[in-house]
Amino acid sequence: MSLPLYYFLTITAINILMSWALYLPYRVAHLHFLTVANMAISGYLSGWLVQGLGFSFWAALPIGLLAGGLLGWLLSLFIGDAPTFTVVIVGFTFIYITRTVIENTKAVGATMGMFGLPLVAGSPAAHRWALLALLYALVLVVGFLIHRFEHSRLGRASSAVFVDKDLATSFGVDIKKLGRLLQVFSSTVAGGCGVIYGFLYRSFHLDFFTFQLVGLFMTIIFVGGYATMWGVVVAAPLLYGLTLLFPPEVASWRIVIYGAILVAVLVLKPEGFITRRLILNLERLLSSKRKKI
Amino acid sequence: MQVFVAQVINGLSLGSIYVLLVTGFNLLLLVAMIIHFSYPQVVVFSMYIAWVVLRYTGNNVPLAVLASVGASVAINLASAPLFQKIMKNREEVDINSTMVVSMGIGMIITDVLSHGFNKGLPISFPKELVGDVAVFRFGLISLLSGQVVSLAVGVLAVSGVFLLLYKTRQGRAFRAIAEDPNGARLVGIPLLSTGLQSYALSGILGGLIAVLLALMLGYTSPGLGELVAHKVLGVSIIAGLGNLPGGLVVGLALGILEALIQGYLPGSWSNAIAFLVLLVVILVKPRGLFGIKL
Amino acid sequence: MRKKWFVVLAALLVLVAFVFTGCQKEGATKRVKVKVEQWEIPFMNSLTGPIASIGEFLHWGAERAAKEINEAGGISGKPVKVIGVDTALDPQKGVVEMGKIVQNTLVALGPVPEPVIMAAMPIAVENEMMSMTATTSLEYAEKFFPWSISWFPKTEDRLPPLVTAWAEMNPEMKSVVQFVAQYGPWPGMAAAHNVGLEKAGVKVLNPVEVAQDMVTFGPLAVKALEQKPDGIILSCFPEKAAKIIQELKSRGWKNMSRILLFSSADDASLYSTGGASLNGAIIYNYINVDVDTPRWNAFKEAYAADHNGMQPPSLSTNYYDAVYMIKEAIEKTGVTGDPKKLKEERKKIAEYMANVKGFQGLLFNWDMSGGVPTNKPTYLFEIQDGKKKLVKEIRD
Repeated sequence: MSLPLYYFLTITAINILMSWALYLPYRVAHLHFLTVANMAISGYLSGWLVQGLGFSFWAALPIGLLAGGLLGWLLSLFIGDAPTFTVVIVGFTFIYITRTVIENTKAVGATMGMFGLPLVAGSPAAHRWALLALLYALVLVVGFLIHRFEHSRLGRASSAVFVDKDLATSFGVDIKKLGRLLQVFSSTVAGGCGVIYGFLYRSFHLDFFTFQLVGLFMTIIFVGGYATMWGVVVAAPLLYGLTLLFPPEVASWRIVIYGAILVAVLVLKPEGFITRRLILNLERLLSSKRKKI
Repeated sequence: MQVFVAQVINGLSLGSIYVLLVTGFNLLLLVAMIIHFSYPQVVVFSMYIAWVVLRYTGNNVPLAVLASVGASVAINLASAPLFQKIMKNREEVDINSTMVVSMGIGMIITDVLSHGFNKGLPISFPKELVGDVAVFRFGLISLLSGQVVSLAVGVLAVSGVFLLLYKTRQGRAFRAIAEDPNGARLVGIPLLSTGLQSYALSGILGGLIAVLLALMLGYTSPGLGELVAHKVLGVSIIAGLGNLPGGLVVGLALGILEALIQGYLPGSWSNAIAFLVLLVVILVKPRGLFGIKL
Repeated sequence: MRKKWFVVLAALLVLVAFVFTGCQKEGATKRVKVKVEQWEIPFMNSLTGPIASIGEFLHWGAERAAKEINEAGGISGKPVKVIGVDTALDPQKGVVEMGKIVQNTLVALGPVPEPVIMAAMPIAVENEMMSMTATTSLEYAEKFFPWSISWFPKTEDRLPPLVTAWAEMNPEMKSVVQFVAQYGPWPGMAAAHNVGLEKAGVKVLNPVEVAQDMVTFGPLAVKALEQKPDGIILSCFPEKAAKIIQELKSRGWKNMSRILLFSSADDASLYSTGGASLNGAIIYNYINVDVDTPRWNAFKEAYAADHNGMQPPSLSTNYYDAVYMIKEAIEKTGVTGDPKKLKEERKKIAEYMANVKGFQGLLFNWDMSGGVPTNKPTYLFEIQDGKKKLVKEIRD
């Protein structure tokens, strides 16, 4: 496999997973920007475990997942049913705190970053295949879980919360529990992504985890469609691939084009490209075709 | 003690920046139900327009002020239909969609500034126009003319906007359209012209804020808006969305807090601690310190 | 008789052959059959995004070198083209671009800046391709040796003598406070500054941290002045350094020669923000713009013509020199650009550049040893009206 294709596939997978991590809490109208802080914390933690304490990547990964989940759980005790803005402020706060702690911690390279993370498998080629397989396995597992969630009572409850919190409460939906569940899951996924992200680059640097990532994942969700998980699957590779294909004269206006796409989609198709109705129609079409067969 | 007083004055100066921006932010919220996350970027754009006019007209200040106001009004009027289109539910603020649209607008503005003005480099305003003359100095305590003017105008701006929105017919009309356009139409308020006036008003305020920031800071850069956008949103939330007096108090308080943190602790912690304080406040009072006023 | 003539002729032939091989200077350009129609050098740079203004003049310098080389006949007779590859300070983009580049490129320039270096250089290392990170510190570049070279010597060797020299210029200066931004290698540079101060017997006061997103600097200025320093060192972002100086001056700071700015602040945004308020401050850097040579004068004129009369920033020469170094490496090692010999020729270029002797840079000559420059000068300048006036040259 060519290197550009490898990096395109792996980074697209990271973007899908992280956008899903943001998408899930958004099902109850929470913009859970804490996920970017989770990425950084778990990532640097895993780097320290591997380089500092000699752990293997395969041991550091579950620890990174756990760390993400734990932080998400702790905070969800306070913000499980908080208003949207509170969750936004929590996210911003932890991004700032994380960055400040990392830049002042010599053990994780401080402002210089961490270099030379080892291969996760015996050779560079094996390393690449291992990460690619791991990422797409995670995409499948997380995607499956989200799909099951969306077609469950909990999924329907979250849709109700999104539309009308008070009405959902009157129907017996426990908003706090639901919010906590989604936030913990989202933080766990983000923690795992952080670990893999660093080993993809074989280094960590603070500027891998900036507010621009927040903008990127928000764009993917809103352009792809925030009402269904499939919007992320379509938008992530498209938005990433688009910028790689621009000719140099156009590439210099990349950010303007991104912003214009974002605005245009939100104005013309507020629910994004992939809507619930579209998925429903597709499902009906597929099931009718199956019946014919 | 001298150091403490100096830092408090520095804090008031920083706080007045937040007050000005939050006032404009709240005005848009009150008259149009828009969370314009990138309002600071619009202000920075207006600063650049003022700079261009100053440069090519030999420092013609009135023209620069007009140009700045004009630019801000133009952007507001151009973006108004975009926001109006995406807002489906007019009873509540659709924070998510408007926030994302404004993020897109902010990205466009920042990148246009990086490409099109001074090769993306920061710009500085003519020294004779910047308010860096000390009106009072004692040891480390220094009060500059720009700081005094910005703080004074900030307070006046908040008072003026508050009076306009809550004590005049026109202000009531603006708020009526924002809260319930159908109801407003029923009572005979012309939607289109009143709506446009409300956007123009926030644009005028934005242009004036740009001039004041130029006076106070003496410089700007393409990324300046992004640097303060999080804090402006934070101040507005902590004060209570749409709460003008609350925005004044919290803006100044945040400025003082940051200045004291920078003065007594390592500077790199100032953002983290400031946001931590904001977080604690919002956990205790989710509707803001002074309550939402939408 | 015939035999005698035969012997004389043979001896003459041997003598001629001996003279020819003896006359060939070591490292002389090898005449080889080049397999490319054009040498293409990708330059991974930030042409858009937060540091687009820096990326622009870096690219300008590289293209200027390519233009001159082509006008003089190219590299081994073939033209050279610098291809700008924009990474926009985005590691996600950087790795894909580097992945494309390593497939069939002989040597590359960049990446710029550090986050993209961290993400993309491991790919260059794995594929054994030299990518010249000519604007980052040794502390970053050495992590990727031998597939990168450093444009700068060790921070802890180079900076202390500079700062000591500055302190000696101001003998009344007994204590100094330093403004430091927590970014990349800058804290390390700040620590090296302190070593220089201590060597000069100057007391190092508590540092003042400058956060990346500060917009006003009054609190920092007060924090610094509270310690009653005699001198100030600024190791932070250029426009912030300019604003801090203005803030210090507004609070009564008068002695500008006791303000030292570090090299990374020597950027167009320092001058566009600070203007005349910087007059008298001292700044250190690695190029002396007042050198009077035809080549440099032509460079300066061309830069001013394309940049509204501005002086070239110090980093603008780095990739200019890098392109010339590539030219020299290709010609001296007999690289052909044959795709079948890619691995071998990449290695030749890397080895040559890591140990080049007497490289004729735009402003001075220098040597490399193991990828580290050994005898580059550093200069102290006084800033006057946006221009730098040489005060002192310091050599290793």
